[in-house]
Amino acid sequence: MPAEAAQAGYGTLAMLVVIMAISVWLGTQAQKAVERGGFIKGYFLGNRGLGAWALALTATVQSGGTFMGFPSLVYSYGWIVALWIAGYMVVPITGFAVLGKRFAQLSRRTGAITIPDLFDARYGNERLGLLASILIMAFMTFLMIAQFKAGALVMKLAWPGNTSLAMAEDVAVGGIDKPYYIGLAVFSLTVVGYTLIGGFLASVWTDLFQSVLMLVGVVILFLAVVPIASQAGMDRPTLDAMAATGPDYALGPGFSQQGQPPFLLLGAAISFFFVWPIGGMGSPASMVRVMACKDNNTLRRSIVLLSFYNLLIYIPLIVICICGRALLPNVAHADEIIPRLAIWSTQEWAGGSLIGGLILAAPFGAVMATVSTYLVVIASGVVRDIYQRFFRPRAGDAEIRRVSHVVMIAFGLIGVLSNIQPVGFLQTLIVFSTTATASSFVTPALMLAFWRRSTAAGSAAAMLAGAGTILTLFIVGSIAGGAAFQPYLLGGLEPIVWGLAVSAVAGITVSLMTSPPHEALVSQLFDAPAGKPLTAS
Amino acid sequence: MTRPPEDAVVQAARRESVLALGTWLVAMTYTITYCYLYGYGRPVDTLSFVLWFPDWVFWGIIAPWLVCTMISVVFAFGIMGNESLGDEIDVDLSAETSSEGGHAG
Repeated sequence: MPAEAAQAGYGTLAMLVVIMAISVWLGTQAQKAVERGGFIKGYFLGNRGLGAWALALTATVQSGGTFMGFPSLVYSYGWIVALWIAGYMVVPITGFAVLGKRFAQLSRRTGAITIPDLFDARYGNERLGLLASILIMAFMTFLMIAQFKAGALVMKLAWPGNTSLAMAEDVAVGGIDKPYYIGLAVFSLTVVGYTLIGGFLASVWTDLFQSVLMLVGVVILFLAVVPIASQAGMDRPTLDAMAATGPDYALGPGFSQQGQPPFLLLGAAISFFFVWPIGGMGSPASMVRVMACKDNNTLRRSIVLLSFYNLLIYIPLIVICICGRALLPNVAHADEIIPRLAIWSTQEWAGGSLIGGLILAAPFGAVMATVSTYLVVIASGVVRDIYQRFFRPRAGDAEIRRVSHVVMIAFGLIGVLSNIQPVGFLQTLIVFSTTATASSFVTPALMLAFWRRSTAAGSAAAMLAGAGTILTLFIVGSIAGGAAFQPYLLGGLEPIVWGLAVSAVAGITVSLMTSPPHEALVSQLFDAPAGKPLTAS
Repeated sequence: MTRPPEDAVVQAARRESVLALGTWLVAMTYTITYCYLYGYGRPVDTLSFVLWFPDWVFWGIIAPWLVCTMISVVFAFGIMGNESLGDEIDVDLSAETSSEGGHAG
């Protein structure tokens, strides 16, 4: 069958149903684990019991984009995308070794369940905790809404008879119609349902499941595609892809169509070494998972596991997509390359439809896990940081459980309602929210963990300056470019670089200008407990 | 009043944090410098290949990625300490005050 005529078929739909069933089952298993401890710590932090596999494969930046957006970039622009993603080589170290140990320790020493809890306890300032909570909830809500649309689109492309295999917004797989709405409803019910049942652990376990699924998909695809493209030599895939595009496909700043801007100029290459390692470190969803790790040894093993996982995911994916350009040079929508390769390369295999379905199901699982993660973080913000802290400090487990469920259903409904007529620039909103979150929280997190002299005012200034810088650059970019919503690349650098820099200057300056924090409080969190020796235990 | 000694976990975490950020800085500097010098604006007929990769991709990205993976192993099991993270306390929000310095658990 020609690749252009490939359809997802019943195998894909069957795999999606299997994944949904497994996710709901994981939710029920997670609920049992939550019941073993106090509700709030179990539901929002998994009783601090995350092991190395769960932490390594779920606490860093991976989503549906890994299997859809990233391959589409490689297919379109060529080898330069390897430089775009190269920051992932240090993500395991920056993600776990910069803040991990200290956050895990501080959260135990203060009893913090959420990131705002930690800011509150570190500085003894509820208003700082509230500010952190508001920023996290605002940015996470944008991110969550965008993922609902992605989930609905994947369900739609799995619909038997559908000929499009892309989930990009501009393609919209035939528009917003009945299969889209059915997909939106099924996706929302499933993901809100299992998250509501199992809380944080349900989110982590489904995330772990999809990460393994993604690795299996990459290995199968590599074995199916690369030998075919490399039959006449390992350099053939690149040479064939260059013949279909141009010499820039193998060089920097990358191949681009006539009139299109270059993909990766020097400033952008530098910026993305900030986006992945530093931006990932500042994500509240990542920080809270580090707080939930079982012990120090878990952190160490997670660094190693994630290092090998990233190596086995990203480099093979790049080779697969270069081979894809050589084998299928004229795929209409670049987002389709992985689904097209999956169906094309497995069509002669026994059970090929199911294997192709398994590969296609990986991004669906990733989108579900991402929504689930955001739902838990948002719900913990509303329930723990606002409802319990300011309105009902004496609320019992039953009441907190009830309110948590109501909040999750409410935000699930927001996700659904926002996507009945989705806005057109959600991808830009994702970029905005991700960079704004990182710019707001990296400096305050480092100050919280390591700088005794930092103050609540300094941390608040760092958060607001980071968020404000990103917002300003997006507003200026939108006015200057005449587009709906786009960033201004000051000095050729992505906004995150400026956001981090301004946040750091503001945090340090304001801390030094304000009164030092109470020494007793600082000592409680930085110094050895009385009678405890300095040596490691 | 003399300050009590700083906690061993804080000291270890700070040292490891500096090393991790140093690794990031070195990896970024090497990778971007190498790729910019050998991968940008180069005549395509000078391109050679190592396995599936153009030479600049292999030596500028794949090789340092492998080195970083090895560094991660050494870092995790050879450099990073295995200190106890301490016991956890339970916080009663109803007993907390809202004043600066009022609580830390």
